[in-house]
Amino acid sequence: MKETIIYNLKTLVEEIAESDNTKKEWEDFLISLADAFGSEDMKGRIKEPLKNLLNFIDVSALVRGMELLNARIEGFPLPEMLKVVIEVLDEIKNDKEMRIRELGHVLAELATPIIRIWRDVLLVPLIGTLDSHRAQSMAEKLLERTASTRAKVVIVDVTGVPMIDTIVGGFLIEMFNAVKLLGSDVILTGIKPEIAHTLVKLGVDFNMVIIKRDLESALKHAIEITSDNRGGRYGQKRGSDYEE
Amino acid sequence: MDKKEGATMKNKVVPTIKLYDYLLVPIQIELDDNTVERLQMQILHEIHEKEVRGIIIDVSMVDVIDSYISFVLSETAGMAKAMGCYVVICGIQPQVALTLSQMGIKLKDIITAQSLEDAINILDKLE
Amino acid sequence: MNPQDYDIVLKIKDESDIAVSRQMAKNFAQKMDFSLADVTKIATAVSELARNIYRYAKEGYIYIRKKEGGSEKAPAIEILACDRGPGIENVELAISGGYTTSERSLGLGLAGIRRLMDSFHIESEVGKGTVVIVEKRRRVF
Repeated sequence: MKETIIYNLKTLVEEIAESDNTKKEWEDFLISLADAFGSEDMKGRIKEPLKNLLNFIDVSALVRGMELLNARIEGFPLPEMLKVVIEVLDEIKNDKEMRIRELGHVLAELATPIIRIWRDVLLVPLIGTLDSHRAQSMAEKLLERTASTRAKVVIVDVTGVPMIDTIVGGFLIEMFNAVKLLGSDVILTGIKPEIAHTLVKLGVDFNMVIIKRDLESALKHAIEITSDNRGGRYGQKRGSDYEE
Repeated sequence: MDKKEGATMKNKVVPTIKLYDYLLVPIQIELDDNTVERLQMQILHEIHEKEVRGIIIDVSMVDVIDSYISFVLSETAGMAKAMGCYVVICGIQPQVALTLSQMGIKLKDIITAQSLEDAINILDKLE
Repeated sequence: MNPQDYDIVLKIKDESDIAVSRQMAKNFAQKMDFSLADVTKIATAVSELARNIYRYAKEGYIYIRKKEGGSEKAPAIEILACDRGPGIENVELAISGGYTTSERSLGLGLAGIRRLMDSFHIESEVGKGTVVIVEKRRRVF
């Protein structure tokens, strides 16, 4: 079979390639196939060439090509070849899924910026839906930043969050409580009417945070808190969040 | 104070520092159940002996705070409160804070502060 | 269950074993490349499990192993805690506990463990003992 392929390479390529720009790829593939044929690790050796070929042609074209090779070459191992094709397709699918996951991650990163908006004040504008995975990564990132920057106040703006159910509400409560354990205050803003409605209906209570109407009043309040805490020992004003 | 308690005081679990009217308790050891219980006794005795009106517990070196440790710390704060003393905890590591909040643990009766400085500021503002 | 299938076997008999098991779990999770927050959550969960054994059953074992997730998923850590102690009468009650209601449920920390981990199974029979199996999957980055 090896010889059959090599001797008839040009004719086979002419026949098999459905357009001029795939000729080169088919030729490469057929050479690798001829080379790998009969060797112990034929499957392993044609995987890569096959993957490469699939970058240029679609699956149906590949199947047509395989049928043609089967007709032209005596003893062409069609079943084995198709098995390899399936494996390769599976690998390609996995690669793609991985890419999608990675992109999802990049998107989540991009969707949760943490901005130092004022001295000792961080702003977290939440955008999009929160799942457990994203919520945990976000909470980790925010806690890390709050601790490292020693921010006094964290403003969380949920204007971009489409809905808050008990699960998302639970994530937020956990995150807020964690920030408070670091000794920082949380101001929540951007709760839309429909969200306020569901929150109360579901019994989600953000009583551990300060809630402000809009970002402007949130920032104003944050600045008041941070300036209260300046002045060191024997500072001017009192104002504590100590709950009796 | 009976003899046994007096003996406990001699081998303190954590060396403490008196600063203004406050007692600084930097925890630099692994907290197991026994240690944290002994620490509770130590703190209560020191409040009494040194007449401090605030305790600052620095946990920045503590890697794990589980439900029992936090319970004993809260309990200690409640006891201190009964003696007219506030308890401030500072330096909780971010991952410890996340773990505590995910477990639903609240540090009852304890004031949280970012740092030692912050803790002193907060105590200064309280009576 | 075969103890040989596990990477770490810890016997809980003394109070100090709680801190030891916590440390061992922490090191193991670190080696598995869990995030720092997840390492802390795992160590805390093990600490709770070890304490339950020590407090209620006097002695028991904690088994820890790495579970490969195959090509699709990231690996997970599995922790199994078992004892021949008194057992838990009302398992439902022991693992319940919302965010706002009783913070310590029955004081077993089971509700907390359940929240920290990805999966949580418990089997308990009064007079026979308790088995808790929890798992946490490493998040893919």
